[in-house]
Parts: sequence; structure tokens; C-alpha cells
Amino acid sequence: MNEAPLFKPRFNAAKPAFGILVFLLYLFLLAPLLIVFVVSFASNQYLSFPPEGFTLKWYGMLPQESTFMNGMRVSLIVAVIVTVIVLALGVPAALALDRYEFKAKGAVQSFFLSPLLIPSIVLALGMVLLFGPLRLTNTYAGIIIGHVAITIPFVIRTTLMSLATTDTSCEAAARILGADSWTVFRRVTLPIIQPGVIAGGVIAFIVSFDEAVISLFVAESGLPTLPVQVLRYVENSADAAVAALSVILILISLVVVVVVERVMGLRKALR
Amino acid sequence: MTTLQAPGQTPLRPAEAGELEKATEKRNRRAYLALLIPGLLGLLVSFVFPLAYMVRMSFNRGAPDGVIEETFTFDTYIQPLTDPYYWKVTLDTFQMGVTVGVLCVLVSYPVALFLARSQSKYRSLLLAIAIAPLLTSAVVRTYGWMVILGTNGLVNSSLTGLGIIDTPLKLTNNMTGVTIGLVEIFMPYAILAMISGFGRLSPQLEEAAGSLGASKFNVFTRVTLPLSLPGILTAFLLVFVLSISTFITPRLLGGGSVQVLATEIYDQTTGLLNWPFAAALSVILLVLFGLIIAVYQRLTRKIGG
Amino acid sequence: MSQTKLSIVDLTKRYAAGLEPAVDRLNMQVEEGHLVALLGPSGCGKTTTLRMVAGLMDPTAGSITVDGKEITHTPVNKRGMGMVFQSYALFPHMNVEQNVAFGLQMRQTPKAEQKKRVAAALDMVQLGHLGKRQTRELSGGQQQRIALARALVVEPTLLLLDEPLSNLDAKLRETMRTEIRSIQQRTRATTLFVTHDQDEALDMADRIAVMNGGLIEQFGSPTEVYERPRTHFVANFIGQANFLQATVVSEVGPAGAGESHYKVDIEGLGGFGAVGSAGLSGSHELVIRPHRLKVTVANAADRDAIKGTIERVSYTGDALSVAVKVGGKTFNTQLLTSSGDLPRPGDTAYLSWSPEDAYILPVNGKGPAS
Repeated sequence: MNEAPLFKPRFNAAKPAFGILVFLLYLFLLAPLLIVFVVSFASNQYLSFPPEGFTLKWYGMLPQESTFMNGMRVSLIVAVIVTVIVLALGVPAALALDRYEFKAKGAVQSFFLSPLLIPSIVLALGMVLLFGPLRLTNTYAGIIIGHVAITIPFVIRTTLMSLATTDTSCEAAARILGADSWTVFRRVTLPIIQPGVIAGGVIAFIVSFDEAVISLFVAESGLPTLPVQVLRYVENSADAAVAALSVILILISLVVVVVVERVMGLRKALR
Repeated sequence: MTTLQAPGQTPLRPAEAGELEKATEKRNRRAYLALLIPGLLGLLVSFVFPLAYMVRMSFNRGAPDGVIEETFTFDTYIQPLTDPYYWKVTLDTFQMGVTVGVLCVLVSYPVALFLARSQSKYRSLLLAIAIAPLLTSAVVRTYGWMVILGTNGLVNSSLTGLGIIDTPLKLTNNMTGVTIGLVEIFMPYAILAMISGFGRLSPQLEEAAGSLGASKFNVFTRVTLPLSLPGILTAFLLVFVLSISTFITPRLLGGGSVQVLATEIYDQTTGLLNWPFAAALSVILLVLFGLIIAVYQRLTRKIGG
Repeated sequence: MSQTKLSIVDLTKRYAAGLEPAVDRLNMQVEEGHLVALLGPSGCGKTTTLRMVAGLMDPTAGSITVDGKEITHTPVNKRGMGMVFQSYALFPHMNVEQNVAFGLQMRQTPKAEQKKRVAAALDMVQLGHLGKRQTRELSGGQQQRIALARALVVEPTLLLLDEPLSNLDAKLRETMRTEIRSIQQRTRATTLFVTHDQDEALDMADRIAVMNGGLIEQFGSPTEVYERPRTHFVANFIGQANFLQATVVSEVGPAGAGESHYKVDIEGLGGFGAVGSAGLSGSHELVIRPHRLKVTVANAADRDAIKGTIERVSYTGDALSVAVKVGGKTFNTQLLTSSGDLPRPGDTAYLSWSPEDAYILPVNGKGPAS
């Protein structure tokens, strides 16, 4: 509120108190992320407080932990392929949903967003049940198919958001100037909706990369992803190697956050 | 001129610009429908088939060692609905959802209010920080809470170190830990939902109330709170629904001693290999879900007028 | 001799069965090099017509022919037209030069020639120095010129303008009017111009098609549609008008160009002189423009005058609107102000006009006879 108040207010204790409250709540919100940073640099042999000294040994251990490295490889492969697939499926679908009027439009749009409403444990169970007989459990194909359902809504949503703010006259203008449908898409539509496509893509990537439940059900024994490995490790060990790994995962998320915030804004993208 | 319109009615005409643009595209009907097909097929394979197969599975009978007896029976539903143990698990799940929902709304409301009103140039940064944890791994954040709440964790070490307590508090491997973890994990969702729901709330309204002589307290209870109620309700429901279906946090922070529907589904599959039973529990969870969402929609319609 | 560039025959667009057609059996011939304004209120079908000519929309029936070749079903990207949109529709991810070059790229024009023509097009709209700018950095008027350059650089068969001035502020709109018109005349681009603004149409167009309810009510030069409106709608939409009920008493004699002088009875106020197309009889609507009515405080002896009472006076600086009540009928008049006393409501006033300014509408009723 920039306007000068009519009367000079007396000292008001409520304002700083509210500020402190908000600060503490932010601290609470970020506590688990901050704590793994601290622990990952602490030289304590086992998880304990206070930190006894500074060390990088936990980070040094990571490359030798074959479970982590294998998990990382699996997760990266899965996340990259899932991103490519959901972009290929989601962007055209969003285009049709925005640019074409048909009766079932609302229903189809809700359908595309509905996987977010279903508990992932339920989806995961359905997948392991279906994939078992099809010999898709413990395969890349199985995990990837599993992740497509839960990432497609993000791509649809961010792309739709970008499409909604574009001027369809641009496409008409390009066609009049001689461009065929594919050229219009490649040279006009796609560049204009690029922010939504990028945001959807990186969100799909991180959601797939961090996904644990479906991966756990579909591929725990044969092809564990990184989150599954971390889950197992945390259940059984108490050293801080996993903290170092967590820091790396947080940093990857941070990159995604920055990208999404820059191209279209986190709030818009995750609404 | 031949029309099917009743005499005296004004003819319907599309609005000039926008509608014309869309109507333009009708010639490409088939091309646009074709664009939908890959996505629909993708969801069919990765979403519809698994769910449908699971529902069918819930009517089979599970035999020892993971053998599935193909049949059509309600046995799998009768057991959880008659066994007091499963009633307790369902009730615990429900209770956890309510507790987490209420606490999460309480801690998120001030932040959301702050963000909605803030005119600071750092507002978008602070907003981004509040939402960003959404895109970090749930496993990592749960692990962070294990470090904070564990027997040798931050809280217990600090308290014993300060001589406030002698024996460490039990904050993990029980519902307390799970609740604390979930409240934090779902905060970004609650904050987002609230900010979106605060649509009608504006500083001008609060100033107007103030100019009419309302005290700070009155402004809050008579203007701010009622106007933010839709946002609060949405946030509560969202967090409730997310909590009753979440698996990772109850699993890790509960350490096997917290049994909710999600962990039970997992145990039934990996431990006992009773697939039909796990499927039935999932269907029960889904039905619970549907009911809550239906009730919520009724409620919002009432509030919305 | 001028040649027909565009010929539209029985063009019809019906959005859905059961709806009134948005464009109803429309016929129009446009001469090479002409600027034709499609003028009408929103929903009259002018934009739909333009879009069908552009190829953005399929007609339900009828045909469109350009340069003697029928293009009714030619795909939009094969028609070689240029169009300027209301929103300008500049590609936001391209700079000014890239925007203008787009159509040339689609035509696979050699790079060197592209460069030359883009530069020439930008010079033509006086923006040669802004080629490397991003379009969003430009003002509305500049964006508009870029859009015009982009449409003209491909040397389009037809230039289509869809309310291009409606997003500009009033001052700029007048400047752009003159500029568009002069560029159009220099390039001799046959142009269709959609507008709802009568001033724009009168100022810029060689021909105006006044549209209403999917039909062309009148197609003619600006002076024709203003001085000799065919219908009540045209007279009412373009400029201001007093409509009077007149009964033909006698056809006095020819007035040239197929018109006659008439003696008519106006609203039972007596006999007056008027003009109209030859051969009229019976009851007709008669139009007199407000500023062609003469208002005097004393009875001028030289003409037939009607005595009335001033009902309302409104002063807008340059002009003075005076409503004069005669019997049950109110006449709106418009005068230029001069120093001195303003007439006051309640004063007696005499109304007169020259017979040439009282025009009998040839078509009775709201629309053309069908």
C-alpha cells in the first residue's frame, strides 16, 4: 500500500509480529530442504547433531555408490523419454482442445487432467496388475508408460495456458501469406507457445525424475529408479551419503524451478 | 428466406471476431480430431486400462503365494468392510487427512495472506519460494524430516543439549512424525489453492472497512476471513485428499507402525501378494475420494450462491 | 478502361442450419485499383465476407472470382492475398524485417531480392530505420504500418483490411487514413476495407458497400451513398438524417441523371419541392440532412418555410444543434455557430430548405425489396 495514510498510525505491534510469523512459517516450509544441506557437509559419522566439522566426503562417496549411479541412470533415461513422449502427445492434444470447437470438449479436457486426481498408489497398483501378465514390470517400457499418465496433465495445462493468450490472427496472417498448415505450426504457433511447451516439458521431466510410487510398484526389484533407491537406502542406513545425493536432487529441482519461473511463472504453470 | 426460427425472434449471429476465428477452423475438423488421438491413446494405455483392470481384479479371489483365482465375487470387499482392523485403518486414514488438512490450512493461511496482499518487489520471488518445494522429491523432503525429527535428530539433540529433556522425544515412527511431515509437504499446494481462492479479497475492501470504523480485528473477522473462506475450503479439501492417498511419507516417517490405506495397499501387494484384496482396498479409497469431492462441490456451490 | 478485379456472385454464408445467414446472396464487382469499403454495423456480415474472400472461411454457396479465375475453393495459402488484421497479428517472435519477409520466404523469393523488397516496403511505410526492432517495442501506429508493409510486400492480388484503424487513438486514426489511402493509390492495390466507421469509409473509399443483415443495401461512391441513399438504413447509418413522410402530389419535371423534381406533401404540412428518381408516386420516405435545413427567426420570403418552436439547443463549440418542433414532428437541424445570441428553447423559428436537399427514398421500408 503506497498511498499515504490519512492519519499517522500509532506504533502497531501487529505488523512486525505478522512478519515474524510468516518468516517462521517459511522456515518450517524450507526446513527439510535446508537441513539436508547442513547434514551433507557435516563430518559426523552417523546422523547426529550438532555438526562436528565440514567435509565433502559424502559427495565423494556418491560416484562409488553403484546403486545410486544405476538409479540415476535409470531415472534420467526414463525422465528424458517420458518428456519427449508427453510433449509429442500433449502439445497436439492441447492445440486441438484450444483451436477446435466440439461438443465433448470440456469432457475431453477434464479427462486429460484427471490423472492428477487419482491417488498415485491406486494408479501404481493398477499398472503393476496390468503390466505383470504383459511382462512389462521391471522394464523401461513399464516405468515410462506409468509416468506418461501422471505427466501429461502438466503439459496439457501449460500448453493450453500459452495457447489461450495467443492471437489466432497470427496464424491466419501466416496462412494468407502462403504458409501451409505444417509451416504455420512450425514457424508461428510453436514459437509463440514455446514458453508453455518448455514449462510443461521441464515439469514433466522433474515429476517423472522424482516419481517414487509407480516406479516402486512397477520396477522395484528389477529396475529401481533413483527415488526408489533413495527410499530403500533411507529405510536401512543412517549415514549422510543420502543427504549429499538429496542435495543434488534438490539442485536439479532448482534448475527446473528457475526455468519454469522464467518462461511462464511457477504459479501459472502449477495452478 | 427459410429459417427454422419462430417469428419475432432475433436471428442468432456469431460475435464478430473471436467466434469467427474458431468457426474458421471447422474446415479442418478431421485434422484437429487427429491431433487428439495420440494423447487419448496414451492415456488409454497408461491410465484407463490399468484402472479398469484393477477394478476387475478387485472382484477376483486371492489365494496364497500370489495366485489369483479368476471369478466374480465380493469377498474382497466383505473382508475389509467387516474386519474391525480395516475399519480402524480407514478411520485412521480419515483422521490423518483431517488433522493434516486443518494444520496445513493453519500454517499456510498467514503465508497465503501475506503473498496475496504483498506489494513488495520481492513478492514474485517469495511466491516462487513458497511453491517451489512442489517440484522437489517427496522422498528427499521426507528424508529431511527424518533428519530433523529422528532420535538423534535436530530437535532431540537440541532439546537434550539444552538440558530440557533427558530422553529423546518419540517424533518418528509414529503418527506425530507423519503428520508434521505431511503438513509441510502439502503447504505449497495449500498456499497455491488459497491464493487462487482469494479472488475477491482486495486491500481496498479492507481499507474501506477500516474507513467505516472497523477495528483491525473486526476487519479481519468481518471482511478478510469471510472472503478468504472459499480459498481455505479448497485448500483444506486438496490437502485432505492428498494426505489420505499419500504413501511415501507414512511409509518412511511411520516406519511400519503407522497403518493407513496407502501403506496397507502396498503391504498387501509386496508382502502378502494378495492382489485382489489390494485392488479392493484401492477401489474403496477411490470411492472415498469421489464422495469427498462430490460433497465439496455441493458445498462450494452453496457458498458460491 | 477499368477492369473488374474481383467479382462476387450470390455469396452466402450460413454458420449452421436454422441460423439466419450471416451473408445472404451477396453480389459485388470491384474494379482494378479501387478501394472498396464494406461498411456496416457489427454483425452485418462484412467481416464474414472479407474472410470468405481471404479464404479463411468456406462460403455456403456462391462464387468468388479474381482476375477472371474462380477461387471460391482455392486454399487460403494459394490465393496470394495480403491482409491487415484488427490486432495487426504481427508475429511476436520475429523482428520487423522478419515479419515483412515472411510472405516472400513462403514464395521462395531469392534472398537478395527479399532483402531489397523488404527494405522498399519498409521505406514505403516510412519505417526503414526500424527493421531490426522487435515488434512489441513499436507503437500501435508503427505496428500497423509494419502489418501493411507485410501485406503489400508480396504484391498481393487483393489487399484486405479488417478494421485496421479501430485500435488506434482518434488523432492517429486520421493520419493513418490518409497514409493508407495514399499508399493504396500509389501501389494501385485493389483493396477491400472492412469498417464500421462511416467517416473512414467516406474519406478513403472509391466505392462503399453499405451492409446490413447480410445484404448490401447500397453499393456506390461516397457521394452517392450520402446524397442519394437508396434506403432508410443507408440514410440513417451514414450521416444524420431527418426522415419525413411524404406523399407525391405531382412529378414536376426532369432534374437530370434519371431524376425528377416533385411536388410532395410532407407530413400534412403543405406542399414542398423535392427530388427523387423518376417515376415515383404514392407515399415515400423523404430525407433531409440536418445541416441542409435553414433555421431563421423571421420568415424568409424567398422560400416556403414552416413555422415551428425551438425545443432544444445544444452547443458543441463549432456546431449548434437545434431541434425545432413543428406540429407533432421534431426536425433536427445543425448550424455553424457565430458570435451573438444563441437561439433559446421556446423561441419561434422558421424552417426552410432548397428542394434539391429533400430527397425521396426510392425504396420503401427498412430493407431493399427482395
